[in-house]
Amino acid sequence: MNSQIPSVLKVRDLKVHYALRKSLFAWGSTPTLKAVQGVSLDLAPGEVLGLVGESGCGKSSLGRALMRLQEPSGGTIEILGKDFLSMRGKELRLFRRNIQMVFQDPYASLNPRMTVSETLAEPLKAHFRLSYAESQTRIVKLLDQVGLSKGSLKKYPHEFSGGQRQRIAIARALILEPKILVADEPVSSLDVSVQAQILNLLKEIQKSLGLSMIFISHNLAVVKYISDRISVMYLGGIVETADRKSLYEKPLHPYTQALVSAVPIADPKIERERKRIVLTGELPSAENPPQGCAFHTRCPWVVPQCLQEKPELLKTPSSTHPVACFEAGKSH
Amino acid sequence: MNPILSIKNLQAHFHTRRGVVKAVNGISYDLFPGETLAVVGESGSGKSVSQLSYLRLLASPPLKIPGGQVFYRDKDLLKLSDAELRKIRGDKITMIFQEPMTSLNPYLTVGAQLIEPLVIHRKKAKSEAWQAATAALERVGISNASNAMKAYPHEFSGGMRQRVMIAMALTTEPEVLIADEPTTALDVTVQAQILDLLKSIQKENKMALLLITHDLGVVANIAHKVVVMYAGRVFEKGSVDDIFYRSEHPYTQALLKSTPRVDRDDKILPAISGNTPDLIQIGSGCPFYERCSYRTDLCQAEFPQVRLGLKGHERYCHVEKVSS
Repeated sequence: MNSQIPSVLKVRDLKVHYALRKSLFAWGSTPTLKAVQGVSLDLAPGEVLGLVGESGCGKSSLGRALMRLQEPSGGTIEILGKDFLSMRGKELRLFRRNIQMVFQDPYASLNPRMTVSETLAEPLKAHFRLSYAESQTRIVKLLDQVGLSKGSLKKYPHEFSGGQRQRIAIARALILEPKILVADEPVSSLDVSVQAQILNLLKEIQKSLGLSMIFISHNLAVVKYISDRISVMYLGGIVETADRKSLYEKPLHPYTQALVSAVPIADPKIERERKRIVLTGELPSAENPPQGCAFHTRCPWVVPQCLQEKPELLKTPSSTHPVACFEAGKSH
Repeated sequence: MNPILSIKNLQAHFHTRRGVVKAVNGISYDLFPGETLAVVGESGSGKSVSQLSYLRLLASPPLKIPGGQVFYRDKDLLKLSDAELRKIRGDKITMIFQEPMTSLNPYLTVGAQLIEPLVIHRKKAKSEAWQAATAALERVGISNASNAMKAYPHEFSGGMRQRVMIAMALTTEPEVLIADEPTTALDVTVQAQILDLLKSIQKENKMALLLITHDLGVVANIAHKVVVMYAGRVFEKGSVDDIFYRSEHPYTQALLKSTPRVDRDDKILPAISGNTPDLIQIGSGCPFYERCSYRTDLCQAEFPQVRLGLKGHERYCHVEKVSS
């Protein structure tokens, strides 16, 4: 990424901890689940950053923390050069139009009692003083952009299929003309044939509006298709960040290598010849994460240093892109 | 060689207040011993319902099977009494499901659930069944199996629970294992382990594996033969190479092209326009008609007869030649 351009989103050492319920008779402090443990990232204008990882890696917690849907436990978030976490009250409410979200399940994220027109008019009412005609013009224009007809305005969510609902959810996120869009698994509940439509729509809109986007998914193929850069998460931290090409062609972190090799490819000849890196063991608990490198319990390259120190996400002389591993780039 | 399971013109309809949902509309395919057949389709294609219907795992009503035959060896499963079917289901034909979280009984230990098939179908004594079940757990890669037998399902992760489910389905050494989206709820690294396990077991036991999935990557990884379904119909059948390299059906081709892949650098995905049809309003024509770029008037009027290709490659499409 070009360091000359100021980033629209700057996250430093972000932490998201959830307090767990303490047993009635337990001594000591309340146990916490450390979902995100010190994540730093930058998002350039017009850039799509993919966040990929398996369940429990903290990718969704990170996404929700960026929206302040979950208050972070530590760290800083700067949006458009402003300190987002110190904002309160009216200032926060008005500023939020700059960062909007699309959720995974379009069956749960739309209000079943509101028509499409009402759903899309509500954010406008909260943020602008527009006449009915003005807001309708905006809504119809946007609906057209997401591929829905004017006839959808008076319909309720249940009258639409999953893919169409996701179009409505995207329109709702875009109606305030945000600078940043956070999309959390936006195509995971859709069928393959519909998934491609929504991915193309997101890509097209992102390009034409020059949006910056954080795209969260467990699906490595989907993330590759839509992202410029990709960060791989494991147990609350980013282990590697690379442009979309390098990540799949030259993954440096042993976890990324295992992850990429595990994705089945829809080509039988390739599948017959592929060698898989099989990870042993289970994902450690985020309540009690391992000391040192979080991946050391399953890592094929583990050295004594990994048990003591936590590797930072750094670009080293031997690596082409930032990776959090002491052993990356050495021969194994 | 005779097929171990043969589905002939099976139909399955749900009678609901809104109307008749025609979930399966006359499908036919064979499953041979020692082969892995993947039934692939999107949600609503009828890939699961077709299996669940003849195994009587769906409430009837609303389910009705208006026609068809399902042969296990020379027995038509649809004509058997419930008691006769129960002797086959869970013994000769077993099944594993998508959600390993919900398909185990949380109140019983893993061991108590694992010995059930042997005690019920094979009339084994509990102690003997316990030993066999422990061995089955070891075979699916659960270390310390004798402790695992005494544990409850919540003590296991998703991948481990799916291993328990697989062990349970294997205790009776079935001839047919039906796996309904066995890895969909799992992470990719765990999915790779479970697919490897299913492959090695299938080879070792020489059983027939029928895998239901929507994931073309999984199909490419594990299947020998493939059946492509859409809206209650079979569109194409063939070897895995037939389907992936020599497909002659517009839907299969479109599906393959619209799937993003990690080894490709797609600039734009050729998406299939429109949505899957409403199964209540489905007529006698080809259900892909509205979304198909090759459609003709004939397609709307009637569903095509089979066109035979080489080596058992079959497709159901009116179009003479489909360019790939």
